[in-house]
Amino acid sequence: MKLSETYRQIKIEAERTVSSRRAQQLKKLALGQNFNDGWIAKAILLGLLSVIAFLYVKPILYMISTGLKSVEDLIDPVVGLIPRELHFSNYADALRGLHYWEAFANTLTIALFGSLLQVFSCALTGYALARLKFPGKNLFFFLILVTFLIPPQITIVPLYMVFNKLGWLNTPFVFLIPALLGQGMRGALFIIIFRQFFLSQPKSLEEAAKIDGASLFRLFFRIMLPLAGAACLVVFLFSFIWYWNMHFEASMFLSKDFTPLSLRLSALETELMGNKAINYSADVGKDPVSEGPKMAAAFLIILPPLIVYFIAQRWFTEGIERTGLVE
Amino acid sequence: MKTVTERRKGYFLFRWKEYGVGYLFMLPWMIGFSAFVAFPVGWSLYNSFNKVIINSDGFAYEWVGLGNYKRMLIQDNTYPIILISLFQEMLIMIPLILIFAFIVSLMLNQRFPGRGFMRAIFFLPVIFATGQVLMELFNQGAGKLPFVDQYDMAALVNQFFNERTANMILNVLGKAVIILWYSGVQILIFIAGFQTIPKTIYEAVRVDGATPWESFWKITFPAMLPFIGLNAVFTIVDLFTFPFNPVLEIVQRNMFSPNTGYGYASAMAWLYFALVMLLIGITLWITYRATKGRRELR
Repeated sequence: MKLSETYRQIKIEAERTVSSRRAQQLKKLALGQNFNDGWIAKAILLGLLSVIAFLYVKPILYMISTGLKSVEDLIDPVVGLIPRELHFSNYADALRGLHYWEAFANTLTIALFGSLLQVFSCALTGYALARLKFPGKNLFFFLILVTFLIPPQITIVPLYMVFNKLGWLNTPFVFLIPALLGQGMRGALFIIIFRQFFLSQPKSLEEAAKIDGASLFRLFFRIMLPLAGAACLVVFLFSFIWYWNMHFEASMFLSKDFTPLSLRLSALETELMGNKAINYSADVGKDPVSEGPKMAAAFLIILPPLIVYFIAQRWFTEGIERTGLVE
Repeated sequence: MKTVTERRKGYFLFRWKEYGVGYLFMLPWMIGFSAFVAFPVGWSLYNSFNKVIINSDGFAYEWVGLGNYKRMLIQDNTYPIILISLFQEMLIMIPLILIFAFIVSLMLNQRFPGRGFMRAIFFLPVIFATGQVLMELFNQGAGKLPFVDQYDMAALVNQFFNERTANMILNVLGKAVIILWYSGVQILIFIAGFQTIPKTIYEAVRVDGATPWESFWKITFPAMLPFIGLNAVFTIVDLFTFPFNPVLEIVQRNMFSPNTGYGYASAMAWLYFALVMLLIGITLWITYRATKGRRELR
């Protein structure tokens, strides 16, 4: 009698500890050991991030949806983000108004070759600054930092005159030659990235190659440049995107004949509808007739870098963390 | 036997051969720098002290000394107003971008499912933020925060601030999404910055009984100070070419205006540059002071 009583008590006790341990485990999973590794914390985090991410994506969604709307859908306030019917003629208009394929080829020429040249020249300069010895190195580095800070407005007029004298205006040379000479768009930043990267590489590698009798050029092209793959990719992608998107410089140097996509967007309205559209949008501000084609055009302009980004995105973010961009 | 002078000469030649390779590597940059940076900068500085007239055979210069600066600051008084309001706006936007980027990168640095995807989204704007496309989106009102109109924030802001401040705040709110979009690179720099703090430090302070709150303020934040400074400088430089920058617009307009011209526009650009350099200088100085204090503590 007494024995079975005790036995029961022990059993209850044991069950209680098991259940309390389970509850504790559950609590640990939900709340976490730290405040940030529990389920609840993670859910809140993900929720918060999703809200902010929505703000980021919304203008893009707006662009896509407006590009697909017909004029009736645009005027009708009941129609929100989702158009009643897909209306592809905006895209046809945009392709026509932008002279898309020609402008695409122009932009691609600048972005692709400009970036390749920039990877090459900035790697060269960055390597010299990181590894080679010569008097005046610190002065050069200081000048590069200053170059990064000079606003384009200061140099744009003299540059215009220089390019005019050289006969390069309205040709891709205005961007390709500076890129080759290490002065491309935000070239200073890229030189700094390469310098950081080469500084972080082990010195023994070079010494080994030197003892084996490799010349400095061979060393650079055969060993250092392939090693810098991550940095090259980051610089190439940044440079590609920035060249693709640049507007101010392009509007100065490439105003006719050889115009990139970014410039054609502003001319789209007149291109499509003549002067009527300008008068209309001047008093209303928001013109439902041209709004659709404009957004379609905007989407067509950003589509190529978007594709490039989605392909390279993984290596890109990893690469930035590994290049030692920030040290 | 070589004499001492011969040996010294040989050593000298050896050194210069080494330096020569260095200069050879630097050569493209040096040519580019003198042609596309040093010369244009010098010329534009010279321009800013001149009245530049374009005639059929090129430029005619007329030395006016500080005349251009005097004229734009005292006679035509639109420029100082634009500058002041721009700097006021920048003073709101820079901290806003920094704080936002810091919080988002802090969140993105936690472990949670779908982290890579989220990071990809937050970096997207770097691709979209092209001047023209951005302008177009903004003109169509897609750059606004949705709740600003929904809850009639304008009335609220007008109620609590005087007119000038309220306008400034509303102006910033109207561009809010675009401001958020300008923090892509900053977020990336912060995330990379977090990687430089060793994990073991956090474990050590946790064993010592520090709460996450404490470990953030005592470890994460001080270690991130240099990155905050770096990001502040990057943000300022980035805002140079912000598509809504009114200074750029007025400089460009005056360049081709018949009664002002290049000299006047250059003077405007130079004053702007000087002020922004001052801003950057102050930022770097503050960062330096903040990190120096920490170094001494250690």
